[in-house]
Amino acid sequence: MEDPLYREIILEHWQNPQNYGSVKNPSFDLSDNNPSCGDKIRITGKIKNGKLIDVRFTCQGCAVSKASASILTGQVKGMLITEIIKLKEEDILKNLGVEITPARYNCALLCLRTFQNGLK
Amino acid sequence: MSYKKDFPIFKNNRKMVYLDSAATSQKPQVVIDAVNDFFSKYNSNVHRGIYTLSEKAEELYEGTRKKVAGLINAGGASEIIFTGNATEAINLAAFGYFKKFLKKDDIVVLSEMEHHSNVVPWLMLKKSLGIKIYYLPVNEDYRLDHLRLMEQKINFSKVKLISLTHASNVLGTVNPLEEIIPSLKKECTNAKILIDAAQSIPHIPVNVKKMNCDFLAFSSHKMFGPSGVGVLYARQELLEMTDPLFYGGHMIANVDKEKARFLPAPAKFEAGTGKLEGVAGLGAAIDYLNTRDIKVIQKYEHGLTKYTLSRLPKIKNVQLYGSRNFLNRLPVFSFNIGAIHPHDVSEILNRHGVCVRAGHHCAQVLMDACQTAGTVRASLSIYNTKDDVDKLITSIEDVKNVFRLTD
Repeated sequence: MEDPLYREIILEHWQNPQNYGSVKNPSFDLSDNNPSCGDKIRITGKIKNGKLIDVRFTCQGCAVSKASASILTGQVKGMLITEIIKLKEEDILKNLGVEITPARYNCALLCLRTFQNGLK
Repeated sequence: MSYKKDFPIFKNNRKMVYLDSAATSQKPQVVIDAVNDFFSKYNSNVHRGIYTLSEKAEELYEGTRKKVAGLINAGGASEIIFTGNATEAINLAAFGYFKKFLKKDDIVVLSEMEHHSNVVPWLMLKKSLGIKIYYLPVNEDYRLDHLRLMEQKINFSKVKLISLTHASNVLGTVNPLEEIIPSLKKECTNAKILIDAAQSIPHIPVNVKKMNCDFLAFSSHKMFGPSGVGVLYARQELLEMTDPLFYGGHMIANVDKEKARFLPAPAKFEAGTGKLEGVAGLGAAIDYLNTRDIKVIQKYEHGLTKYTLSRLPKIKNVQLYGSRNFLNRLPVFSFNIGAIHPHDVSEILNRHGVCVRAGHHCAQVLMDACQTAGTVRASLSIYNTKDDVDKLITSIEDVKNVFRLTD
């Protein structure tokens, strides 16, 4: 029986995260943590003409937070910063394609919240 | 001996394997009854009630104080202060006593295996008074290397406090205080001794005279009692020099428009109405521990510890943070599985009904010393069995399957 949370998409991004690392000479360098579990994330990126042209992250976190950062960074590359700020939490949870229980919302949303708090 | 039947939670959660007793213990029926009885038979405020019901409530309240004194071999009931929990108890010692007497450059000795409750109050005093903190290191067998203090080039007469946990909430290590304290006191002759017994008290004998400690703190909820009640023990003459942290009702000898005089300890430290039903429950928890006999409990848990140590560390990809020697050790097992995050491990264990804790366990100084951000922690108590350990082991195999960790 396939696990309801740890499906292919989460495990694949956990093992081979996209956009992992840091951007050289970044326009922004954001760090945040999840105080309930101590997970840490760092996001660096380059902005040109209001558009996010490059983004990378590193994290010390669970499979859910790592996979969601991997998916989200892929999604926001090329987007206008103003659009990124408008992204909705429920859409990010949906994008993961797995069932996220409320206890894991903070894990799944750490990356988005770091973006939105830092770029506002 | 089966202790499980004493705890009704297991009748209501038949498949649950509860391995989180270091966070809080389950409650035996006798404790639940005592809380219930307080409300249904004796509920009234203690102290100053000149009627039979209040006298009965007071008997329960002060009776528990005597039971606590007996349990830890204190000099008398007046050396027992009820607080909200162990954290509050340590804060009372730190801010009621030590804040008055510590001076800039005085040294407080802690260890790397302390819970945040025995780190942060001293960090606050470091900030406000300029005291220095030295952390006794943990060695490669996850035991305290207390003799390293003697190698430090410090003025030992400046060491005014040695504040140590009796047992680690992460490693399971029991610190042999009967050896450690006298050996440190030889050099640190001015040091007071504070012991955090929150983890040890439901598992092993705690005797303030044998430990030769000045202060001792613990919580009711980790020793089968209700939450919301903690205890600070301190020697009588120290309590006389300690200031209360809270002021108001009950603690008063006399008040006029200009000034207030306080009652002596313990009343001086217990302003306001206490957690009456909780204290009644703590009394029942102590009776339970005494009936079950801590020495018998200790022996039973040695068996659990030995059995777990014979299985858990043998699993490939499991890294244990704690000694593999069952002696001087609680049935508390911190581990990681490969690079899998502790939260992911606990999520999958939960699918099997196995309740564990994941994270830094309020011991970030220790996490740094162990060079990890967090661990999975399985902590056992008297109601656990070898079957529970087996269930943990097979569930760990499932975690490895889900995360495709092949042997």
